[in-house]
Amino acid sequence: MDATARPAIVIDNGTGYSKLGFSGNSEPSFTLPTVVAANESFLDQTELLSSSNWIAQYNAGIMADLDFFIGDEALSRFRSSGLYTLRSPIRHGQVHDWDTMERFWQQCIFNYLRCNPEEHYFLLTDSPVSTPESRECTGEIMFETFNVPGLYISVQSVLSLSAGYAYLKSISDDDSDTTSDMTGVVVDIGDGAPQVVPVVNGYVIGSSIKSFPFSGSDVTQFVSQLLQERGELLPPEDSLDISRKVKEMYCYTCSDIVKEFKKHDKKPDKYIKHWTAVKPKTGVPYTIDIGYERFLGPEIFFNPEIYSADFSTPLPELIDNCVQSAPIDTRRALYKNIVLSGGSTMFKDFHKRLQNDIKKIVDERVAATNARHRVEVKPIEVNVVAHPIQSYAVWFGGSVAASNPEFFEFCHTKEEYEEHGASICRTSPVFKGMY
Amino acid sequence: MILLQSPSRFLLQILQDRVLSGEKGMDIDCHTVEFDDVRYHIQFSMRNPKVMVLSVALPLPPPEAILYEGLPLGAIEAIKAAYGPVVQILDPPKDGFDLTMKISLTKLPLDEEQRNAILTQIASIREVVLGAPLKLLLKHLASKTVAPNVDKLVALVHRPNESFFLAPQADKVTIVYPMRFQDSIDIVLATSFLQEFVEARRTAALNNVPSCMWSPAPPLELKGVSADALNANAGFVTFVVYPRHVEGRKLDRTVWNLLTFHAYVSYHVKCSEGFMHTRMRRRVESLIQALDRAKSDAEKLKKLVHGGSFKRLSLTNEGDSRF
Repeated sequence: MDATARPAIVIDNGTGYSKLGFSGNSEPSFTLPTVVAANESFLDQTELLSSSNWIAQYNAGIMADLDFFIGDEALSRFRSSGLYTLRSPIRHGQVHDWDTMERFWQQCIFNYLRCNPEEHYFLLTDSPVSTPESRECTGEIMFETFNVPGLYISVQSVLSLSAGYAYLKSISDDDSDTTSDMTGVVVDIGDGAPQVVPVVNGYVIGSSIKSFPFSGSDVTQFVSQLLQERGELLPPEDSLDISRKVKEMYCYTCSDIVKEFKKHDKKPDKYIKHWTAVKPKTGVPYTIDIGYERFLGPEIFFNPEIYSADFSTPLPELIDNCVQSAPIDTRRALYKNIVLSGGSTMFKDFHKRLQNDIKKIVDERVAATNARHRVEVKPIEVNVVAHPIQSYAVWFGGSVAASNPEFFEFCHTKEEYEEHGASICRTSPVFKGMY
Repeated sequence: MILLQSPSRFLLQILQDRVLSGEKGMDIDCHTVEFDDVRYHIQFSMRNPKVMVLSVALPLPPPEAILYEGLPLGAIEAIKAAYGPVVQILDPPKDGFDLTMKISLTKLPLDEEQRNAILTQIASIREVVLGAPLKLLLKHLASKTVAPNVDKLVALVHRPNESFFLAPQADKVTIVYPMRFQDSIDIVLATSFLQEFVEARRTAALNNVPSCMWSPAPPLELKGVSADALNANAGFVTFVVYPRHVEGRKLDRTVWNLLTFHAYVSYHVKCSEGFMHTRMRRRVESLIQALDRAKSDAEKLKKLVHGGSFKRLSLTNEGDSRF
């Protein structure tokens, strides 16, 4: 069986979580945190030991390099034993520790997916602001270590867009929109490096990419801060973990902070939730109240000054700036298709609030233009698209793209790699229109 | 992780999630491919919540290995013995697959440990089906007899279009693997890895394990086998297994390790390549540091933009990467 007859492997490596699976499936086979817990005790020894003492080297060095875990196992091993150090290879959406990344991929392929990399084409994803060198390094690792027959490194934003289209098509009954023109603004808020990326006809407009400094982990941090400021008794070693769970279960987006405060104060029983858990060290159960954090957490996207004094542009304004910096003939199409992706966009009513805020800014501008120039500009339609698969939208887009029979022609193949070297991976087809 | 594990993680995860979610849940329809071309298709639909359907496709058999109705010898009996009433084989199997089974979730044992054991067994379906003939032969070895009607040399399916050979006798079983790799670097690494394997066997601590030999030419046991089956570019590995290696619970581990030998070697070859990359990167880093020391101070003042367009990437862009 040829490699093109088998489903391709789609791996989406994000700062917080990695999603892996086979193309053609509607959800990833595995979603695991992007961390590696490695046993580092052997590293100092390999320089000192000579080849005559190879039995000791065997025990300490040669087998110890396989002694590492990834994902949830890594986190539990790190907590239970002091032997392992936790490393995160991806920071702010970009790989910065290639050794750890290579090991992560090694375990993903052989332990989780359990497939032979020589028999499948691979689709990996990359941040839109990553450097060509990092794509080159990725290609080198994939072709040299894993001997993959073909590799395609795609841009996360474009995949999110195609996921949005695919989902809408699957739930709509009409076939009118058969050609999706791949134009839209992708708001990708994951665990690190949230970005607003405009895509026109499948090409990323690199100069208009805007980034927002606060991500999901910042929301967790903020919730934890609020809880501690109020004096809730959180055990310190678990505080981030608990805040994260609280965020995922109870946080929602409100339409107006002032009204929301009043609602909470009027009816505390309806809005205040409780969290019971057991202290890990003493085993004593405790309860904490969760009140204003429920809506203040996601509020940092709309009012960043409540969290940090450095940055004060709210997210809707950032999206507006991004569209305004794009070519003028694309702006209406961009406003019409603002797609959300990433786990942190899944707060309840996030898309409604975003749509209302952006529409307010746009309408104000249209009204000002109308007043100043005495014209009637057609009102601009603002549409924020939300769908239930936002947390793995990039993976889903990759799965859809890789199940297309033309996908295999777009991949860089091993023959090309051996002929030209790793530099073939520098260019991504979506940037070809630009530079 | 040094040895490849027997249950398929993905199947186990799906089965456990399904059992835990009980009444609620969504439809599942997933395809997975494992190494050596073993494909799984697992289906579950809320219209029929008590049942899951699992289909397995096996690799294409080489001409010298014999399959009975598409499955290795003894596979159906092995399935019935391993799973009991929980699993029912559907005949004919689904299109494109060699075996389809219906898993009745209601018939799982209520005790949690037993239930997990059965689910792990179901996730190890590959070991049960592909390992059935091997298990039969090794069981006979454990009882120190030779199975009746068995030829001197048995060929079993190992990988698509490749097989490995067994020569069973009353007191020992000799197993020969012709090793083939596609990439030239892999061939070199595998050859030296296998030779090290043989060397390591000679240490005192490993006296009780099956003896292991490597030779570049086909060993004597393979006389009379067709030339196609014998072109191995990474030599031939021979194991000799004695009854003490297959008694009791060791039988299952032995069967799994022998069945996936090529995958194991391939995994370790790739890990070694990864390890060598780590060493190479560290070396490059230290050489670049030497170059940096030679730079004049004026050049050092020019700030390097993070992730700029310089050809080199350092090992860690921001100092210490440990938490």
